[in-house]
Amino acid sequence: MRYFVKRVGQSLLTIVSVVVFTFVMIRQMPGGPLAYIRAQVMQSRGADSIDMAELSKLSVDYMNYSVNDPIHVQLFNYTAQILQGDLGRSFNYGEPVGEIILKSAPWTIFLLTISIILTFAIGILLGAVMAYQEGERFDTAWTGVSMFLNSVPYFVAALLFVYVFAIQLSWFPASGNVASNLDSALTPQYVSSVLYHATLPIASLVLTGFGGIALGMRGNAIKEIGEEYIRVAHLRGVPGRRIAIRYVGRNAVLPLYTQFMISVGFMFGGSVILEQIFAYPGLGYYLLEGINARDYPLMMGIFIVITVAVVACILFADLTYGMIDPRVSDEASREAY
Amino acid sequence: MQTTNDVTFGVTDPIFEIRNASVTFDMERGTSRVMDSVDMNIQRGEILGVVGESGSGKSMFASALLDAIPDPGQLSGEITFRPESGEEIELLQQSESEIKQIRWEEIAMVFQGAMSSFNPTMTIGDHFEETLDVHGYDVDDGMERGRDLLSELYLEPEQVLHSYPHELSGGMQQRALLAMSLLLDPEVLVMDEPTAALDLLMQRSIIELIRKIGQQRDLTIVFITHDLPLVANLADRLGVLYAFEFVEVGPANDVLTGSKHPYTRALLNSTPNLHTPREEMRPIEGKSPDPVSVPDGCTYHPRCPMSDDNCVAADPPFQAGSGATDHQAKCHYIDDVNEAVPLNLREVHNE
Repeated sequence: MRYFVKRVGQSLLTIVSVVVFTFVMIRQMPGGPLAYIRAQVMQSRGADSIDMAELSKLSVDYMNYSVNDPIHVQLFNYTAQILQGDLGRSFNYGEPVGEIILKSAPWTIFLLTISIILTFAIGILLGAVMAYQEGERFDTAWTGVSMFLNSVPYFVAALLFVYVFAIQLSWFPASGNVASNLDSALTPQYVSSVLYHATLPIASLVLTGFGGIALGMRGNAIKEIGEEYIRVAHLRGVPGRRIAIRYVGRNAVLPLYTQFMISVGFMFGGSVILEQIFAYPGLGYYLLEGINARDYPLMMGIFIVITVAVVACILFADLTYGMIDPRVSDEASREAY
Repeated sequence: MQTTNDVTFGVTDPIFEIRNASVTFDMERGTSRVMDSVDMNIQRGEILGVVGESGSGKSMFASALLDAIPDPGQLSGEITFRPESGEEIELLQQSESEIKQIRWEEIAMVFQGAMSSFNPTMTIGDHFEETLDVHGYDVDDGMERGRDLLSELYLEPEQVLHSYPHELSGGMQQRALLAMSLLLDPEVLVMDEPTAALDLLMQRSIIELIRKIGQQRDLTIVFITHDLPLVANLADRLGVLYAFEFVEVGPANDVLTGSKHPYTRALLNSTPNLHTPREEMRPIEGKSPDPVSVPDGCTYHPRCPMSDDNCVAADPPFQAGSGATDHQAKCHYIDDVNEAVPLNLREVHNE
C-alpha cells in the first residue's frame, strides 16, 4: 500500500512537472501566445485599437489565464482549469481543445492498439519459434530480418508505403481515416473503410516494430530453455507443449510486459509523424497542426494528454507487474524491475 | 576395452544392470567420451554412493539411469531395469512415451541445485499437481501423499504447497524437491549432488532424512557426490569414478578403510580432516583427463606413483586381488597398493 501511494505520487509529480515545464517553455518561445493574439487582433482591426483589457479577455477565453497577471498566477489559473478538464480553446479551429482531443484521440488509440497488439503478437510468436530453432536456418534468417526491420525507422517505412502502395500502385488510400462519403455508423462498409485506411499506418508501425520484440523474446526464451527446471519438467513427464507455453513462454514474456507498456507511451509520441505522413486525423496530426499554426492552447492540450497517457501506462505496468510475476510481489523488491 | 571377469560385484538381486554403457558427444575436435564402457550392478534397496571429482562423468552416470542424457549426447550399451514386479525393462530400447512413464513413476531424480529445479512462476503445489496430472494419478490422493511426505521431511505442508520457490529457503526447497521426487512412489531415487548448494548443517540433516526415507520405503538410492566424507556416512556400497569409468567398487567400509585402487587412496588422502596432520594431506598431482583423449592403458597411469610400462600398455580389468570378491578395483597391482600408497585416514565414520 505504501508502495502504491508512493508510486502514484511520483506519477502525479511527473505530470505536474511536465505541465509546468511546457507552460514555461512555450511562454519563453519567441512569438509566444501573447504576441500571437496581439498579431491576430492587429491584423483584423489595425494597430490602434488594441487595448490591454481586451487582450487579457481574449487570452482568458483561449488560454484560461490573463496575460496581465504575474506568471505564477497565470500558471496557477491554467493548471487549475486543466484539472477541471478545461484545456482552453484552439486559436485555429475556434473549438474547445478538449473537443478536438475527444474527436481525434479515438483514431490514434485505434491505430496504436491494433499496431501494438500485432507487433507483440507477431514478435512473441516469432521469437519463441526462433528460440526453439536456435542456430537453425530459420533462426539465423529471421534474426537477420528482424534486425534489419528493427533498424528501419517507422516513418521511412511509412513514406515508402505511401509512395509504393498509395501513389504508384493505388492499392491503398494515401490519406484520411475513412472514406468521406460514409456516415459514421457501425455498418460493414464503414468498418471496412476504416480498416482499409488504417492498413498502411499500422503496417509501417508493425513491420518496423516486431523485429525488436522477436529478438527480445528469443533471448528470454533461450535463457528459459536452458534453465534447470525445464529439464526437471521434461523428466517429470510434463508434455513439451505445456513446457513451451507454461514454462518457457510465460516466463519469457514477463520481462516484455514493462516494455509493452512503455511502448504504448512511445507510440503516442510516434503518432505525431506517422499521422502527418498519412494525413490521419488523430492526436499527433492535430499536435503538428497546432505547432505549425502556432496554436498554443491546442499544442499544450495534446502535449498534456500524451504525457498523462505515457505516465499512466508506466504506472499501470509498475502496479500490475507484481500480479503477473509472483517473484516481485514483495513491495520492497518490486522497484528493481 | 573388454572386461573378461565378473562384474556383478557380489550383487545378488540387481535392480539395475548396466553393461558397457557409454556416453559420447561429437565435438569439433573429436568425439568426447564422457562415460566410457561402464559396468555396474545396483542392489535392490541399497544406497549406492558414487564419488568422483568434477568432470569425472558423475552426472552422466546419473542421467544415464533415466536415459536422460542431454542433447546431443549419445548413450549406448545396455541398462536393464528390474522393477519389483513385472518384467525387466531394457531402458535404452524403450520408446519416448514408455520412458516418460518409467521416469518419475519408477525412477526419480533429484538434481544438484534444488533452487533451480522449480519453475519460479508456479507454486510448489502447482508442481506437485502437475506431476500427478501428467502421469494420470488421482490428484487428491496424490496430494494427500504429498502432504504426508512434506510432513515427514519436517515441512509445513500447506504453507509449502502455497509458496512460490523463491519464498522458501534452500534447505526447504531441497526437501520439497525430495518430496516431489517421491510423489509417485518410485523404486529408485537418483540423487545428483543433492546437497551441493547447502550449508554443512543442512547437508547433514538432509542426509539423515534421505537415510530414514530410504529405509521406510525400500528405496534404492543412487547418491552421486564429489564429497567422499559425506557419502561415507550414508552409502552401503561405494563406486569411485575416475576418467569416465568406475575404477573401484565395493562395500563402503571396505573401500574407505582398505581401498584397492591408488586413485581412491589418493582421494582419501587429499580429503581434509581435522585429525590428519597437514603435512600428511596431499593433493593429487596432475589433472584429470580430457574426455576427447583419455590416456591409453590404465587411465590413471599418468598420475599414479605405481605406474609402469604395463599400466601404459594394458587397461586393467576389474579384479579383487587377494581380498573379498565383492570389492574390486581396476588396477594391475591391487595387492601392492597398501604399501605403495598408505592411507593416512585414522578413523572412518561409518556407522
